Amino acid sequence: MRSDDGAVAVVDQATAQALGVDLGGTFPVRKTDGQDLTLRVVGILDRLELRYPPPRTVDAPALRPGSSAVTSGVFVTLRASEEIFGRPTLTDALVVARTPDTVPAVVDRLREAFRLEPGVFVSESYSRFRRRVHDFALTLALFTAVGAATAVLAGSFGANLLHDVYADRRRQYAMLLALGFRPMQSALTGIAFGLATVGASAVLGSVVAIVFAPKHFAMPSLMAELGTIEPKFDALVVAVLAGMGVAILALGMAPTALQLARRSIAATLSEERG
Amino acid sequence: MTIVGRSVTKTYQRGPQPIVALQNVSFEVSQGELVLLVGPSGSGKTTLLNLIAALDWPDRGEILVDGLDVTGLSRSTAAGYRDECVGIIFQSYNLLPQLTALENVLLPMLPRRRPNPRHALELLETVGLGDRSNHRPSELSGGEQQRVAIARALVNEPALILADEPTGNLDDENARKVIALLSDACRQRGKTVLIITHDRELIRPADRIFELRMGALTRTESDPVSLAR
Repeated sequence: MRSDDGAVAVVDQATAQALGVDLGGTFPVRKTDGQDLTLRVVGILDRLELRYPPPRTVDAPALRPGSSAVTSGVFVTLRASEEIFGRPTLTDALVVARTPDTVPAVVDRLREAFRLEPGVFVSESYSRFRRRVHDFALTLALFTAVGAATAVLAGSFGANLLHDVYADRRRQYAMLLALGFRPMQSALTGIAFGLATVGASAVLGSVVAIVFAPKHFAMPSLMAELGTIEPKFDALVVAVLAGMGVAILALGMAPTALQLARRSIAATLSEERG
Repeated sequence: MTIVGRSVTKTYQRGPQPIVALQNVSFEVSQGELVLLVGPSGSGKTTLLNLIAALDWPDRGEILVDGLDVTGLSRSTAAGYRDECVGIIFQSYNLLPQLTALENVLLPMLPRRRPNPRHALELLETVGLGDRSNHRPSELSGGEQQRVAIARALVNEPALILADEPTGNLDDENARKVIALLSDACRQRGKTVLIITHDRELIRPADRIFELRMGALTRTESDPVSLAR
C-alpha cells in the first residue's frame, strides 16, 4: 500500500470474514459527511496481533474476546483516513459496519458505550493517550533519576566509608611491604579485604531488600490503572550491584593505593596513627 | 652480611626549607657485628636505618649490602631483599592488631608461602611468650609486644637485623631482655645487628658505635667503653 493509493484497504483475515470480502473485493464505509466511500481490499493479513501493545486506556472492541491487544483492523492510507474522517489528523480507529444501513446503529452503540461522537472520541482518546504516555515517560524519568541519585548517594557513602577504612589501614599495608610482601601481594590483600566488605554489604542489603520490599505495589496516581508492579531481583539488578561494588572498591581504595605507590614506606610508617 | 655506605645524603622537604637528614655519610659494618647507632633526636639515625632497609631512597650515595646496591632497587625487588635478608624491629612495634601474637610472627613467612607455626611458636617461647601466643597485641604489654616484634624479625632467619629504638618504650627489665635477645641473635646465630638507641647502658654488648649528629657521622667508635665514658 502506497501513500498515493486511493480508496484501498488492507484487512486482517478475521475482519475480511466478518465483512464477507476477499482480495480485490470492496466494502463501503460511511464518511463523516454522510457520503459512502468504497474501499477495495488490496491485501489480507493472516493474523493481526500487535506485539507489546501500548497500555489500554479504554476497553476497545476486539474480535477476539478477552484479548488485551489489537486483534483486528483495517489499514487505509493517511489520505483515505483524512477523507473518511474529514480531518487532517491521524486517526487510530476505524469502525467498519457490515453495511451502510447498519452505520447508525453502530454509531448509536458507540455513543452509548463511550458517551461521545465516534470522531470526537477517537481524537480525544488519542490525545489523552498521548498525555498519559508523556506523563508515564515523565514519571519513569523521575523514578529513574531518583533511583540513580539514590545509587550515587549510597555509592559515595560506601566509597567514603571504605576510603576511611583503607586510610586507617594504610600503615598496616606499608607494614606488610616492610616485612617483605611484594607490592602486588599487599595490593591483593587490600583488594580481597575490599571485595569481602563490599560483597558482604551487597549480600546483606539484597537479603534485606528481598525480605522487606513489598511483593506488589501500585504506582501512585496516573499509572495506578496499569495494575500492580512486582519488584524483580533479576540479572540486571545483580549487574548494577556488582558494578556499583567495583566502583565503590576502586574509589575507596584509590587514594590509599596512590599514596602507598608515591610515598616511601618509611614516610607512610612514620605517619601519626589516625 | 656486610654493609658499606658511601657518601649517603638524604634531604626531606618539609615546608619551604629542605631539611638535611644525612649528609655524605660513609660507613662500613662487617659480617656478624653488633653496631649501635647513637645520637640526639633528629640526627638521622632512623633515616639511615630506613635507607639500609630500602624503605626509603637517598638523594645521593650508595649502600651496598653484600655487594648489592639497595638504593636503586625497584619496589618489588626491595620487598624481595627485605623478605630474604632483613628483619626490622620498629620502635612502635607495628604489630597488626587483628592478628594474634603467633599470627604476627608468622606474617613474614607468608610472602614465600612457607608458614611454619612450630618455628614461630619456638621463637615466641624463646622470647618468653609461649603462653601468650593466642593473645592479640591489645592484650599484651608494651614489653611483650616488643618481644613479639623481635620474634617476628627473627622468624625468617634474616642475616641482617635492624632495630629502631627497641627499648625506647620499655622498662629496665624488659629492655634488658630485649637487648639480650638481640645480642644472642648476633653472637649465637652470626647475624649482623644494627640498633638505634638512646640508652647508654646498651653500649656494653656492642662491637662498634656510630654516632650521628645533624646528619653527619661524627664518630665511629670500636671501643664501646671509651664512648660510654
